[in-house]
Amino acid sequence: MSVSDSVSSSGLALFAENMRKVYHTRGKPSVEALRGLSLSVKRGERVALLGRNGAGKTTFLKIASTLLMPTSGRIEIFSKDVSVHPEEVRPYIAVVPQEGHPFYHLTPWEQVYTYLLTRGFSRETARERTEVALRDMDIYDIRDQLNVTLSGGQQQRTMVATVLATEAPLLFLDEPTLGMDPFARRRVWAALRKLTDRGSTLLLTTHYLDEAESLSHKVYIIEKGKVVAQGTSSDLKRSVGGTVRVTIPMDSAKSEDFASFGRIMTGEGVIHVITEPPQINEILNTALRRGLSATVGPVTLEEAFLQLVGRAIEDEH
Amino acid sequence: MNTNFLPSWKGLWAFAGTEARVQLHEYLSIATTVLVQMIFIFFVWLLAPPQLLPFAVVGSMVFSSFVVGERVLDEAAYIRIDHKLNELYHASPLTPESYFLGMGMGVLAAYLPPLVVLGVLSELVHPFTVLSLGVLVGTLALVWLIAASLGYVLSTFFIDMRAIWPYATLLFNFFGVLPPVFYPLGLFPSYLTEFALLLPPSAGAALVVHAMGLEPLSGGEIVLALTALLVEALLLSSFAIYWARKRTREGV
Ligand SMILES: Nc1ncnc2c1ncn2[C@@H]1O[C@H](COP(=O)(O)OP(=O)(O)OP(=O)(O)O)[C@@H](O)[C@H]1O
Ligand SMILES: [Mg+2]
Repeated sequence: MSVSDSVSSSGLALFAENMRKVYHTRGKPSVEALRGLSLSVKRGERVALLGRNGAGKTTFLKIASTLLMPTSGRIEIFSKDVSVHPEEVRPYIAVVPQEGHPFYHLTPWEQVYTYLLTRGFSRETARERTEVALRDMDIYDIRDQLNVTLSGGQQQRTMVATVLATEAPLLFLDEPTLGMDPFARRRVWAALRKLTDRGSTLLLTTHYLDEAESLSHKVYIIEKGKVVAQGTSSDLKRSVGGTVRVTIPMDSAKSEDFASFGRIMTGEGVIHVITEPPQINEILNTALRRGLSATVGPVTLEEAFLQLVGRAIEDEH
Repeated sequence: MNTNFLPSWKGLWAFAGTEARVQLHEYLSIATTVLVQMIFIFFVWLLAPPQLLPFAVVGSMVFSSFVVGERVLDEAAYIRIDHKLNELYHASPLTPESYFLGMGMGVLAAYLPPLVVLGVLSELVHPFTVLSLGVLVGTLALVWLIAASLGYVLSTFFIDMRAIWPYATLLFNFFGVLPPVFYPLGLFPSYLTEFALLLPPSAGAALVVHAMGLEPLSGGEIVLALTALLVEALLLSSFAIYWARKRTREGV
């Protein structure tokens, strides 16, 4: 099925505006999981949703993937209204649920192969894609072992293989690399890049910020059901004040010499100067003149995340 | 809302095949069920008058078809609660009605070998005619459809696996063993005859033993049992389809 058959020229794979979701549980106070969240994903993009536990990432992914009704708001996938016509959206999407498991009493090969058959692929295509997906996820050698006998990370790879093999136009992945080792995660990244190169679009959540940074074209940071920051990883890092961090072991009280080079953040017995590369030499010279050592490193997305979410929490209070 | 009223069976056979594979990998549990039935039949053979043996064998076939519903309940709840596989399948072209019915068909397929074994035993104990065999197959199909619909719908109310087995076991054994399924309707209190003919397993068993010439029913009883089975199958499976569509989106 080709996406272009049914898609307007908007160029958006996903468009969500002012999404609200209130969970009502009998006898308990209701929970406002989404509070006016808006976001959009262009076709062919890899987009990451970041946020603390309970921020509303899974809630949004479930709504977008037709598995949950929003309380209000507008959401479209390839210009089709998800709330009104879920059955028209479903053929174009595939989902890796958060902390899901493959059928324990199937093998990885059967899991991927039968899933492709239920999605309507021919046996031949299903066989070919199953083999590729299992190799991509490095579980080809254990393809005939029952899933229940696999390790947690191997089971998760089976889940990811199942969904990647669909090559669906829009993929939702809720913490797809949970419990995977660094090698396995990189395999997933490579497979996801391959998919978007072929035209698929990805929306994923992760708590590994290096993953979000290395993988996504765009990042949304969500806090308490709202987007508090968005942009490329570099945009977000820059919003912290710079892209490099110079760390100098010294008393923060005496840091005024460095204030002109960038933002000063204090750590335990050290100061961090958040700045841009051209300033580095000057800072190092200043430190050397005062007999201090200094180390230089990049500002990480994790630092930006802590800053941006921290600010959002403060604003709330 | 699915705006199409008529069911769409996209993915049905493939999903049924998936479920059958899942069940067949647990061949021990299938072997156990046939073994339990055999032990039960053995005791009837040992302890009861010989004319009750064919009733027990027919009953064990009807019961096997009925407990497919319990397996569907367990399976649907298990893959939703513990595996979140419902999300994998609902966010796909597989229709909700195919998900429900495919699961029922897959579980049935896996439990067909025990049914065939019991069928052969039944043939040895009291040979079938073409008519009684047809009644048997039709009845088993209706009982299965009712039980699978019930199992699927009930599964959606559980949020915890541990809560399931006492309820499911109680429900399916209460309705599958207590009423006249394994023994003649005539041994049941006569003021409860009509009630028994409304329950799917006892209605099914009564129709089969009637067709086999083991215990004749009156014309009115035949109409009652048959109508009950047909109406229950139609209503419950329609409701299960409606419910499956609704349940693909929690909070609808
Ligand atoms: N079925 C539910 N019923 C009631 N409240 C719910 C339900 N599901 C989620 N919530 C609440 O909604 C909020 C958002 O939950 P959600 O699962 O979307 O968070 P998340 O961002 O995915 O978190 P995590 O990183 O831990 O996966 C939380 O406060 C959670 O307790
Ligand atoms: Mg989550």
